[in-house]
Amino acid sequence: MNNQTIIEANNLSFKINGNKLFHNLSFSLNDGEALHISGENGSGKSTLIRIILGITKQTKGNLENHFSKDIAYLGHKNAIKDYLTLEDNLLLMGLQDHKGLKKFLEILNLNKYRDVVVANLSFGQQKKLALLRIFLNNSDLIVLDEPFVGLDTETQKILSQFLNNELDKNKSIIYTSHIPCEIESKILEIR
Amino acid sequence: MKLLKLEFLKLKKKSRSWLGPILVFWLIMIAYPLTVELLPEKLEVGFFSVLWIATLISMMLAAEDIFLEDFNDGSLEQTMIKTTSFASLISIKVFIYWLLIGIPISLLSFIFSFGTTTNFVLSLMIFPLSIISSYIFLNLFVLGNALSLNKGSVLGALVTIPLALPVLIVLGKSIVAIQFNINYSGFIFLLLGCLSIIIVAVPLVVSYIIKAHLE
Repeated sequence: MNNQTIIEANNLSFKINGNKLFHNLSFSLNDGEALHISGENGSGKSTLIRIILGITKQTKGNLENHFSKDIAYLGHKNAIKDYLTLEDNLLLMGLQDHKGLKKFLEILNLNKYRDVVVANLSFGQQKKLALLRIFLNNSDLIVLDEPFVGLDTETQKILSQFLNNELDKNKSIIYTSHIPCEIESKILEIR
Repeated sequence: MKLLKLEFLKLKKKSRSWLGPILVFWLIMIAYPLTVELLPEKLEVGFFSVLWIATLISMMLAAEDIFLEDFNDGSLEQTMIKTTSFASLISIKVFIYWLLIGIPISLLSFIFSFGTTTNFVLSLMIFPLSIISSYIFLNLFVLGNALSLNKGSVLGALVTIPLALPVLIVLGKSIVAIQFNINYSGFIFLLLGCLSIIIVAVPLVVSYIIKAHLE
């Protein structure tokens, strides 16, 4: 397979209110690779993800992105509407007619909650709903910020397995996680 | 069109957000006659001032949480990384809010105006003024709320109200023109001119402000 570089970062630095969050980070990511961004709380993992996504700008350094704008992203916030039903949220995500929807709703045990208002679901169930955005994506790049938090062991395994399958399809993954997972990844340690 | 439908679905299900401003408008207009003598000529004296101020307050309330929820739940981040134009999303959002809040308030303006003045023609002339001004006010308050997105809506309203004062002056002059049977279409065109600038400028400016907040 012809692996192309989709992200190349050179000497990325980020300062907030005069405090250095990270300094001179360099890394690259190719098609079909996973990058695990690790580090202590507050080291700037989420900020780095936001820089990669183009939401935040780095203070110094150069970042070249060669991926399409269509990215499957799940951050700390689930981007779901808790006053709507699960079905309405699927409509908002544009997933209501996706051919794989039924399969994943069954795998995640969400099928029986389709007409339930999301506020009445547990935190884990809400996270599973948000993960559908990842499971049913057609993007070449998947970006996840602490995706395993709030998930039961079974769902964590399903997610790890799914991500490994996506890597086999030559998709790229960037993620942060404090929970150990079995995804073959490059590690970028932020100090 | 899809975005329009989705924004409509979101607002429709948040009944507090669209019903609240309409009810506030209704309550102010109901309360007004209770504070003055119930003679028709006395009622008419301050009626239109109260009407425009009630419209202003209702649109201020309507814009209160227009972006806050999407900002807090991460939806704005999702939009920012997609190909969808941020400014067009904002235009659609404002349009839906105006459709579900501004239009009913304009209809109520007509009804209350007719109930107070018993002058059908005058009340009919109030309707386009109310429709245009509610859209202008909403856009202005949206700008204010974007500026103070995570600092509370009061600050945004304080920033915006001075911008709404010229519109209130034009609305006042329009009523005088209608009452003295002078052609008031010039005022309508003036308001439409303001609206056409605001309708393009506000979404663009707001999109930059929100991007800065997300950064």
